[in-house]
Amino acid sequence: MTPMQRLRARQWLGHALAYAVLVVITLAVCFPLMWALSTSLKPKSELSTAPTLIPHDATLENYKHLLTGKAQYFGGASGDYQPTTAPPQYFLSWFGNSVLVSVGSTLISIVISTLAAYSVTRFRYRFRMAVPYFSLLGYMVPSIILVFPLFLVMTRLELTDSLWSLTLGYVSVTLPFCMWLLWAFFRSIPVELEEAALIDGASRLRVFIEIVLPSALPGIIAAAIFSLIVSWNDYLFARVFMNTTEHYPLTVGVMLFFEGVHVDWGLMMASAVLMTVPMAVLFMLLQRHLVAGFGAGAVKG
Amino acid sequence: MTIRIDGITKRFGKTEVLRSVNLEFTEREFITLVGPSGCGKTTLLRILSGLETPTSGEIWHGDKPIGHLAPGARDIAMVFQSYALYPHMDVFHNIAYGLRVRGTSAEEMRRRVQEAAEVLEIAHLLHRKPKELSGGQRQRVALGRAMVRRPWLFLLDEPLSNLDAKLRVTMRSELKRVHRALETTTVYVTHDQLEAMTMSDRIAVMDGGYVQQFATPEEIYGHPANLFVAGFMGSPPMNFLTDVTPAELPVARLDRFAAVALGRKLVAGIRPQHIALSLSPVAGALEGEVQMVQLLGSEKVVEVSAAGRMLSVIVDADVAIVAGQRAWMTFDPARLHLFDAATQANVLPAPGLVA
Repeated sequence: MTPMQRLRARQWLGHALAYAVLVVITLAVCFPLMWALSTSLKPKSELSTAPTLIPHDATLENYKHLLTGKAQYFGGASGDYQPTTAPPQYFLSWFGNSVLVSVGSTLISIVISTLAAYSVTRFRYRFRMAVPYFSLLGYMVPSIILVFPLFLVMTRLELTDSLWSLTLGYVSVTLPFCMWLLWAFFRSIPVELEEAALIDGASRLRVFIEIVLPSALPGIIAAAIFSLIVSWNDYLFARVFMNTTEHYPLTVGVMLFFEGVHVDWGLMMASAVLMTVPMAVLFMLLQRHLVAGFGAGAVKG
Repeated sequence: MTIRIDGITKRFGKTEVLRSVNLEFTEREFITLVGPSGCGKTTLLRILSGLETPTSGEIWHGDKPIGHLAPGARDIAMVFQSYALYPHMDVFHNIAYGLRVRGTSAEEMRRRVQEAAEVLEIAHLLHRKPKELSGGQRQRVALGRAMVRRPWLFLLDEPLSNLDAKLRVTMRSELKRVHRALETTTVYVTHDQLEAMTMSDRIAVMDGGYVQQFATPEEIYGHPANLFVAGFMGSPPMNFLTDVTPAELPVARLDRFAAVALGRKLVAGIRPQHIALSLSPVAGALEGEVQMVQLLGSEKVVEVSAAGRMLSVIVDADVAIVAGQRAWMTFDPARLHLFDAATQANVLPAPGLVA
C-alpha cells in the first residue's frame, strides 16, 4: 500500500465510523417517535397482543376518534358519554388552547424583546448592560421555582384557570432568553447600515422597520421558534394554573388518557403524534433560519 | 456658494478629537481630509453628515447654518468604508432607497436609478443582492446610492481602503471621472497620502485634532507648512537633518537661507528625489556610504549613511550602485526646506513669494 492509499483507507474508515455512530444515535432518538406512530395506527384489538413495530392492520380509527371527539369505548352499549372517563371529545379544544397560548405568548415575547434588545444595543443610558445579563440570569432559574410565586400573582390578578395566565406565564419564561438572543443578534448588525438609511432621509422608526428588522429576521425567527417550543411543550405551568378540563392545553389534557380504569394507549399515542406534527412542520420550514440565527448569536454572544 | 466649517470642536468625554477646526471651500471642489488614524478626519466628516453633533462650532452652507439639521434633512450623501449596502435589498432598491423615502414617483425612480447605473456600469447588476457582488461592484453600488439623489455634497469615508491595490487605482480614476461629470462638491477622507495627492483640488492635512495645512496638492508637496505635513506627505518620506546650520548643508547658494536661520535651532528637510548623488567626489558635497539599494522599477531608493544620519536618495534604475560604495550628495537649493526645531513651522517663505 502506498502512503497515499493508506491515507485514503484511513479517511474512508473514519467516515464509515462517523456514519455508523450517527446512524445509531439517530435510531435511538427516533425509536420512541416511531413506536408512538406505530401504536397510534394499531386498532384496539392489536394492543394486547405481542407488540410489533409494523401494525398488522393499520387503521386511522384513533385519529378519527380524536378529531371527531367521539368516546371510543367508554360509551357502553348505549353509546352515552360517561363524564368520569378519558374524554377524546376535548382534544380539539385542547389543541386550540395550546395554539392560542403558544402563539399569543410568542407574539408578546417577540415584540417586547425585539424593542428591548434594540434599545440596549443602540441607545446609551445608565445600567443599560444590566438588562441582558440579568435577563439571562432570570432564564437560568428553574421554572419550578418560578411557578408558585407566579401562581400567587395570577390568583391576585384573578387570571387563574384562564388562558391569559398561561400566556403571561410563558412570556415571563421566554422573554429573557429571546431578549438575550436578539441582543447578541442586533450587535452583529453594523451601525453604518442605519446611518446610511438616516442619511438617505429615513426616520428612526422607518430605519428600524425597513432596515433593522429585515436584517434581524433570522434572529427573530430563532427566538420565535424557541418561544413556541417552550410554551407548546410546557406541562408544569398548565398543571398548576388550570382547573377546568376544557381549558387545558394539550400537554395536561393528554395526561387524562392515563386516568380511569384503562390506559388508552392508542388515543394517547395518536395525540402525541398530532402534538408533534405542528412543531415538526415549523422546524422543517424554518430550520435554515434557525441555524443562521443561533449561529450569529453564538459567534457574537 | 461656499461651505464653511467654523470653529468646530468635538469632545468625547475628556478626549478632544477636534480642536477648533476652520475650513472653507467652494462648490465643485474635491477636498480631501488626510491624516494618520485618530487625527479626527472621520469625526469631522461625520459632523458634516449630521451623524455626529459638534461640541461647539457651526457648519455653513452659503449663509445657511446647517449644523443643527438631522442627517436626512441636509440633502447630502455619504459613502461608507464598509459600503453599508442594505443586505436584504437588491442593487436597484439599494440605489433607489433614498428616492423612495423622499416619495419620488416610481417612473422617475426607475429612470434615475438606470441613469446612475449606466454611468457606473452596473446596469446589468440591478437585480443582484449585495452579497453576490465583488468588492469593486459593491463600491459602485454605494456610489450609485450617493449619486442618485443629486445631493449638493458627497462625503466619502475611505471608500477605497477595502479594495485590492490594482482595483484601488482603477476606482481612483473612476471617482475622479464621476466627480468631473457631476461636479458635486466632495469631501473625501483617507489615510493614504497618495490618494490625497492624486485626487484632490485641495487637501486638508490633519493631525491631533488640528488642520495642519489646507492647500493644493502642489503646495502641500512643494511647501509643507510644518514638519508633520512634510513627513506625512510624499513617499519615500522626506529626509530630515536635525540640529543643522545652513552652512553645514551641501547646497550651492546659501543666501536664501542665511536670513531666516539667524539664532534658531533648525531642522532641514529634503525629499529623496531632490538629492543629487555622485559616485565620485564633488566639491562641497556631503560624503557618505551606501547602505542599501532597493529597486522600485523605474528608479532605485538608495539609503546612504553620512555624518551619523541616514538619508534616502532616489536615482534612476539604470545607475549602477551597490551597498558599500562611497557616495557624494548635493541638495537642490530650490527644494530644500527649513523648519524651526521649536515651533516645527516652515521658516522659508512660500515659493510664490520669493522675488
